Amino acid sequence: MTVFELTAFNFSSLILFGVFIGLLGSALGVGGGIFMVPFLVLALKLPIHQAVAASLVAIVATSSAVAAVNVERGLANIRLGITLEVTTALGSIAGALIASRIPGSAVQFMFALMLFPVSVLMFLKGRHSLNKAPARSAPPCGEVSDFDSSFFDPAVEDHTHYRVKNMVPASFVSFFAGSLSGLLGIGGGVVQVPVMNLLCCVPMKAAAATSNFIIGVSAAASAYVYFRRGLIPLELTAVIVIGVLLGSFLGIYAMYRARAEKLQMAFSAITLLVAVKMLMK
Amino acid sequence: MAGFNDKQFAKLIQRTLLGGVFLSLFLLFLGFGFTLAGAPAGGGLLKAGVLALLLTPAARVAMLIYGYLRGGENYFALASFVVLGLLAVSLLV
Repeated sequence: MTVFELTAFNFSSLILFGVFIGLLGSALGVGGGIFMVPFLVLALKLPIHQAVAASLVAIVATSSAVAAVNVERGLANIRLGITLEVTTALGSIAGALIASRIPGSAVQFMFALMLFPVSVLMFLKGRHSLNKAPARSAPPCGEVSDFDSSFFDPAVEDHTHYRVKNMVPASFVSFFAGSLSGLLGIGGGVVQVPVMNLLCCVPMKAAAATSNFIIGVSAAASAYVYFRRGLIPLELTAVIVIGVLLGSFLGIYAMYRARAEKLQMAFSAITLLVAVKMLMK
Repeated sequence: MAGFNDKQFAKLIQRTLLGGVFLSLFLLFLGFGFTLAGAPAGGGLLKAGVLALLLTPAARVAMLIYGYLRGGENYFALASFVVLGLLAVSLLV
């Protein structure tokens, strides 16, 4: 077990990194764990299980801070969120249990493999939003259900109404997203957001907010498993959490939408680099 | 659902989340203060701070149960209840 020493240098670099992750999480919606875990493993030489545990705690922090704002704005669809949380939480408990029983090298290998499709997804998403005007009201889609909702979109200065369909397949995919989260210490928004957007017909903004809402619970569920096993490195996690919360609140109040898309493209490249680095290790 | 609309519900959720986050921040800062001062309570406070943060989503789910029960939406109250149960299970396994 590596002993993490809390020097002044480590402290400030962790706070800074936490702020970066928090900004990322609040401005882009995805990406927290995807950078957090490699940073802890590659730069701080933390065992991967501890890195995953610390990352999950950081995800709970961003999610809670961002969800507080999204819920009040009516962006997060709480009914949809809590329903998908059932299978997501099941999945994340399963994922955490599996991860705590397999060797770190296997977890690390899976993490690296997962980064490749994530990098492609981020690139496509960034390119897509750069080229297309986002102000597209949701197509009429599916039967009327209790999950239907609407939100005020400042970009089109109007309320966007939408219907939600395909809840059963979405619940299955959510289980998968949850287990990925518990296993690898990522939020799972990488899976959850496209699923809600493409499968359930939820507009992008609402899908991102709802995913963030769900992620808090699924990350907490797997974090409990790691917590019980004493795998959370306390001091290090505490420093990161302080940074992440600072970054999240900063990100919420300084969201530059136009730049967010360009950022996404840049992060896609970083993700690819990190994937290669982790595979080589 | 007299006297309890979606806006109030959202406010309740928001306050729960922010309350948990700030409580956690407070405990963590206190913990670091104690650690730097060399007091033995530091480690315990850090642990309490992390735990407060981890329990925040659970508290939010508990508020959802309350809100949906009050609003008469039993289906969503049940879903929230199941999620809270799962969180309890993950604390025990």
